[in-house]
Amino acid sequence: MLAILKLIQSIFKTLHSEGTPRQVAAGIALGACIGLTPLLNLHNLVIFSLIALFNVSFGGGMLGIAFFTPLGFALDPIFHRVGLGLLNSPGLRSMWTTWFNTPIVPFTNFNNSVVLGSFVSWFVLAIPIYFLARWGIAKYRATIGDMVRHSKLYQAVTASRLYNLYRLFDPES
Amino acid sequence: MAKKIFRWKAIVPVVLFLTLVAVLWIIFADRIIHSQIESIGSSTLGTELDLASFQLREADAAMDMKGLQIANPSDPKKNLIEARTVTADLVALPAAEAKVVIERLTLSGLRFGTTREHPARPAPKDSPSRKLWEQTQDWVKQNFALPKIAMQRVDTVKSLVLDPTQLSTVKAAEALAAKADSTRQALTQSLQSLQVKPVVDSATTLANRLAKTDPGKLGVTGVASAVTDVKRNIDQIEQTEKQLEDLEKDVNSSLALLNQGLKDVDEARQRDYAFAKGLLNLPLVSAPEISQAMFGQPSLDYFQKALYYAQLAQRYLPPGLRPLHRPGPKRLRMAGTTVDFPKEHEYPKFLLERGDIDFAFGADTSKGQFKAALTGLTTQPALYGKPATLTASGKIALATPLVVELKGLSDHLGDVPKDQAEAQLQGVPLPKLSVPGLPFSVSPGVGNADFSFALSGDRISGKWSIVANHAEWSADSASQASFGLVENTIWRVVSGLNQLAVNAELGGTISAPTLKVSSNLDNAIANQLRAIAGEELAKGEAKAKAAVDKIVADKVAPLQGKLDGAKGQAAQQLGLDRKQLDEAQKLLEAQLQRYTGGLPGGIKLPKL
Repeated sequence: MLAILKLIQSIFKTLHSEGTPRQVAAGIALGACIGLTPLLNLHNLVIFSLIALFNVSFGGGMLGIAFFTPLGFALDPIFHRVGLGLLNSPGLRSMWTTWFNTPIVPFTNFNNSVVLGSFVSWFVLAIPIYFLARWGIAKYRATIGDMVRHSKLYQAVTASRLYNLYRLFDPES
Repeated sequence: MAKKIFRWKAIVPVVLFLTLVAVLWIIFADRIIHSQIESIGSSTLGTELDLASFQLREADAAMDMKGLQIANPSDPKKNLIEARTVTADLVALPAAEAKVVIERLTLSGLRFGTTREHPARPAPKDSPSRKLWEQTQDWVKQNFALPKIAMQRVDTVKSLVLDPTQLSTVKAAEALAAKADSTRQALTQSLQSLQVKPVVDSATTLANRLAKTDPGKLGVTGVASAVTDVKRNIDQIEQTEKQLEDLEKDVNSSLALLNQGLKDVDEARQRDYAFAKGLLNLPLVSAPEISQAMFGQPSLDYFQKALYYAQLAQRYLPPGLRPLHRPGPKRLRMAGTTVDFPKEHEYPKFLLERGDIDFAFGADTSKGQFKAALTGLTTQPALYGKPATLTASGKIALATPLVVELKGLSDHLGDVPKDQAEAQLQGVPLPKLSVPGLPFSVSPGVGNADFSFALSGDRISGKWSIVANHAEWSADSASQASFGLVENTIWRVVSGLNQLAVNAELGGTISAPTLKVSSNLDNAIANQLRAIAGEELAKGEAKAKAAVDKIVADKVAPLQGKLDGAKGQAAQQLGLDRKQLDEAQKLLEAQLQRYTGGLPGGIKLPKL
């Protein structure tokens, strides 16, 4: 319950004031990776650390995870095809053979069709996601942002004490 | 002021978070690996694999497992194997590449056929091993039609109405008739295309014209021209004769095929007689059929299981260094496919260098133990370079000493994988066998059993035999009162016998397997049945033949005539054409002689 509340808080705050549209969009693009790819994998630990360590919007990252997770489930059959195609590609076979016989790399599970397919798809889509999100955030703030900020729901959600913890990861502008 | 890229204040929380992840991994590693072993083991074997407990000893690079149970895929209430403790000593280095290399595995307290506390869950329908299990079951159904011992009383041969579409003779006869017609048609067309008549006519006309002319009046040029014409016509005749010879060869081949077709029709008729006889539920009186009917199914059950495990081994232990596809891990998201990429001079994904097994049959482990050793079991045999072997032997001092010898070899190094297993058991309690189609069963008691199976490429071979000297037959008491003549006869034969010897042999290829079953009962039962039901059987057979003949007679009778007609037509037309060509050639040769022999002054004709 707390996690859901925190997520809602982060989404609201992100959309309105926390960080520039660029920072929010970068957070969303990175969060999309965690959402699109199966969660319990080594690369997601790296991506999560990047969201926390780089001066991108943490809330944007949460927003990206929240938005792209259901999409990831829906697109799994496509990711499977993409991943299997890459793993079965004769031209890439020697590269996979080297990679997956190198220490640590096999723990990334990139030799699984869905993990590889979803990660590669995210990698290709990350830049378009970034630009689309940047445009969307800017447009939102310029149009209905103020109206939502003054709504009772927004006030209630952001009043929670959890907000203080979340503030720790506010992007610095 | 330039924007900061790095969020320094988040370093501590991130490090704390990563430490938390590491601590959680250490706390839950045992549980996660435990669950992975159960999940991967179950999906690989196609049956439930359970572990009571699992402990990873990181410092010793070892794993301890207790209460290993592998359910019997054909009987969910039983375990195929149960092991009290399993200890695996690992090689640490390959673990960094997510590879499991077991230097030494020790299984103790191994038991077979124990009853499970809870029935095993069936393997998921889409799992490769479940599909393979179903494929091997279908393979048995599609390739082996075992005869059934009739339940009907032989003195009440029922009326028989056959559907013509069920009879293969009808199809074979219609196909042959069509073939005979097309052969005749093809012969006619071929003869027409040879243009024999124009060749003969042209030659005859030339010969007649030259016969009416005096060569002496033609001069040298005229004679040379005439001789050229004659020779050209002779060449044409010879070419046509050659074509006629080729055609005759083709015709003879076609006629031979038609004759073979006639034999096929006869064979189809015999099959239809057997089919019609089968509809009458006549008792079997052929010794091999009786054994197949009584012991074919249990034999096939053993061979089906052996084929399943051999094919499972060939699927998961592929030869060469091809990438190996396996189902991905179970999760909320789609599992996908995980691909392993073997690399030369590296460790395989899984390798069991040596496994030592102490096991016992049944519950009694106090009077002796068996020892077994498994070596070189790996998912990438080409990397290990040696075949996997299993040897087991032991003796236990029971009332009848129990002696077990097991040998197994899985050689997937070459292009053609070979898997074979042999088991010899003496003094073993043999399982009860039910006789399909009859309300009898036999408890062989303690006896000897031999089993062998080999799969090499597409070729299969197997042998299953049991010998028991204290077999006990039992009949279903409820149905004993209503036994018919057949049941009574068989019961009289078997109930007095204590010795049971069954031998089943599997051979051929997977696509065309053969099964031979024999037993010490077949001749005794066959002779008895022939003696008591010979007359009824003869009536039944006659009835079956008459029913088939009635339907197929009008289809089969004209066949011989059609074939004779085709042969006659071929002989007549070919003979006639050949005769005409011969006659025309003779006429031309006579003129050639006349023209070349009559040249004045010994003038020789220029070479043409």
